[in-house]
Amino acid sequence: MKTFKIHFFENRKIFFGISIGIMAIGLIFNIIFGTKLDIQFTGGAVINYSYTGTIQQEEVETIVQDTSKKEATVRILENVKSADGSVAKNNVSISFAGTDSLSLDSQQAIAKALAAKYPSAGFQVVESSSVNPTMGHSFFIKCLVAVAIAFILLVIYIAIRFQKIGGMTAGVMAIIALLHDVAMVYFTFIIFQIPLNDSFIAVVLTILGYSLNDTIIIYDRIRENRRLLGPKTPYSVLVNTSINQTFTRSLYTAGCTFMAIAIVFIVGQFFGLASVTTFSLPMMVGVVTGCYSSVCIAGPLYVMWENRKAKQKTATESK
Amino acid sequence: MKRVAKPVFFIVALLILFLTFTATFGIKGQNGDNSTSYIKGVGDIRWGIDINGGVEATFSPETTTKATKEQIDSAKAIIEVRLTSQHITDYELYTDYDHDRIIVRFPWKNGEKTFDPESAIQELSATAMLTFREGGDYTTTTTGSDGQPVYKTPKGTTATNIILQGSDIKSAKSEMVQDQQTGKSSYEVGLELNDSGTQKFADATQKLQGQIISIWMDDVRISAPQVDAVITDGKCSIQGNFSAAEASSLANKINAGALPFKLTTTNFSTISPLLGAKSLQAMLIAGCIAFALICLFMLFVFRLPGFVAIIALLGQIALSFAAVSGYFPFVNSFTMTLPGIAGIILSIGMGVDANIITASRIKEELWAGKTLDGAIQKGDDNSFWAIFDGNITVIIVALILMGVFGPTNILSMLFGPSTTGSIYSFGYTLLIGIVGNFLFGVTATRLMTKSLSGFKFARSKWLFGGAKNENL
Repeated sequence: MKTFKIHFFENRKIFFGISIGIMAIGLIFNIIFGTKLDIQFTGGAVINYSYTGTIQQEEVETIVQDTSKKEATVRILENVKSADGSVAKNNVSISFAGTDSLSLDSQQAIAKALAAKYPSAGFQVVESSSVNPTMGHSFFIKCLVAVAIAFILLVIYIAIRFQKIGGMTAGVMAIIALLHDVAMVYFTFIIFQIPLNDSFIAVVLTILGYSLNDTIIIYDRIRENRRLLGPKTPYSVLVNTSINQTFTRSLYTAGCTFMAIAIVFIVGQFFGLASVTTFSLPMMVGVVTGCYSSVCIAGPLYVMWENRKAKQKTATESK
Repeated sequence: MKRVAKPVFFIVALLILFLTFTATFGIKGQNGDNSTSYIKGVGDIRWGIDINGGVEATFSPETTTKATKEQIDSAKAIIEVRLTSQHITDYELYTDYDHDRIIVRFPWKNGEKTFDPESAIQELSATAMLTFREGGDYTTTTTGSDGQPVYKTPKGTTATNIILQGSDIKSAKSEMVQDQQTGKSSYEVGLELNDSGTQKFADATQKLQGQIISIWMDDVRISAPQVDAVITDGKCSIQGNFSAAEASSLANKINAGALPFKLTTTNFSTISPLLGAKSLQAMLIAGCIAFALICLFMLFVFRLPGFVAIIALLGQIALSFAAVSGYFPFVNSFTMTLPGIAGIILSIGMGVDANIITASRIKEELWAGKTLDGAIQKGDDNSFWAIFDGNITVIIVALILMGVFGPTNILSMLFGPSTTGSIYSFGYTLLIGIVGNFLFGVTATRLMTKSLSGFKFARSKWLFGGAKNENL
């Protein structure tokens, strides 16, 4: 059976460097593209119609703006795959500026006006969404609170379960690894220009659970090896051994989970399902960084902190 | 180590296969033309609006003061009556007393040709206040869709003098009357008034003989007959050139009652059924491929424990189906959305982790030189806490997901129930997946592995991950 002898702790600078590098790239993209929040969080309205034939984008914009008395951006997507495999229809997406919701009367008026202007186009609502900004904001805050609660609960859990190997330290280092993962998921949304929506929150929470799962496996092995190897073994050796022993399992599980989500992504991409791909792509990234952060970040950080604690202890003792 | 009897493997495996089969296909009885489901299968799963298409709307009362709990409850009851009278039985309706909101969500009926969600929402939230007023003066006229004039907004005495209100009406019925002379049939709505209404109406018809009493539904005048006689029996009818459908719809509106306040639609979201149809198929394909690949992987890498893992995974998936479809009588059926299916697929990937941990541990112990039985025992024992801790964290996350994205619960005490239901389903299937993982990935797996190791053909270290041709 393959046993690994990778020097995780010794190579830590390389691992930290890779992480910081990717985050720097993400930050640059963020500065260029900005952070976009979906209307679910900010409020606003979007209507998607399907139609056949041709329409003029500027005319549609004028009609919409005259009927609803609001600024709107109109985008036309041609030949979107239709669900029942019949004639490929075109889609027109109307996004209303600002964060106000759209009244039902306005929406009906727009539909009527469009049908009057293009009677043969057969406008049909594919999707429409109107969110009141107050509700959007409170939903957003609720999501953030939930993520914060998740972090707190998970830290407490680790601190309790791994008291024997320095619970709080283990917990805090795990949290740093988790923050690293959340940042990676966030940058995925930014780089691929997906507005932050409920999928973002769901993926973040899921990856928190998944990445912590990974970290726990390693901590569990550290706890066991501490018992086996004795208290005199240096932390670097302890952690290196533990990670190497669990490396196969970390790879296998990350591999299986990644593969499952990757298939969802590929199938979603093939069928053109935006709701599925915006959910699965960040999840794929999250699974990879979850494994990477548990193996290469949390472990070495833990060693560094414990070494520092030991040094401080000997410093005070020798006084 | 405690010996597990050989038949145990077959018992557990067969139970799992039975669960899988029934959870997928259900058990249906055929009684002539009717088929009753004794046990629900995958076909009975209620799909969310992102798969079936549908409507989600949030209503808020247009009052400056806070609405009372009774008012919100009565509004909720009226909306429910309206939903059922439109034959929408598969709806979800939540009330938020703190923020004065009513959230309604319903899928679009299968086979409905026209997708007109806006009308549906407007019908649900219409105040539906029926009034009888003195005189028939109106403020504006518009042309209705059939070319007939539509008179709106009472004014003058008509505005101030209300003779009857919806609360005075006991019942309304759509009736067909046939004209004696021409033989043509038309539809009208027959009203029966309660005692106070009868009295008020008798007084009014006496006072206004020869004049007009107009009938209004909200802001629209639907009829303006002249008073010919004094009506004391509390029975009258509304005539307005109604078609059968219009008459019955009006009768339903009157019967359901008027809302205690005017509702505005603050949020709404609609998805056309065409959009969702392919999504379901896509996810099912993805699920099957993912499962197949994981099975191959487990068999190839872990051999016999891998085989056991496949059976355990089947059990976990079957449990997920069962928990969603309403297979167990004590667990309510659940609306399944696309993220919900993703949750099942994700929990397959994470669930196989338990088997990977255990099998890897057994392999490790074998390579460290333990006997087969010793390795299995030690592998099981040592891996349990790692699996437990890992699963607990995912359970914490799943519960939080359900809390944020679901209806009334702790987090919503702070911020109100959510209008986004689809992620709620994801949290639920993730949670069930982990619970199933404990049941099948841990307990059933261990039973099956130990029992299998009793068989002669299985007494080979290689089958459990050890080196080939080693002494037992």
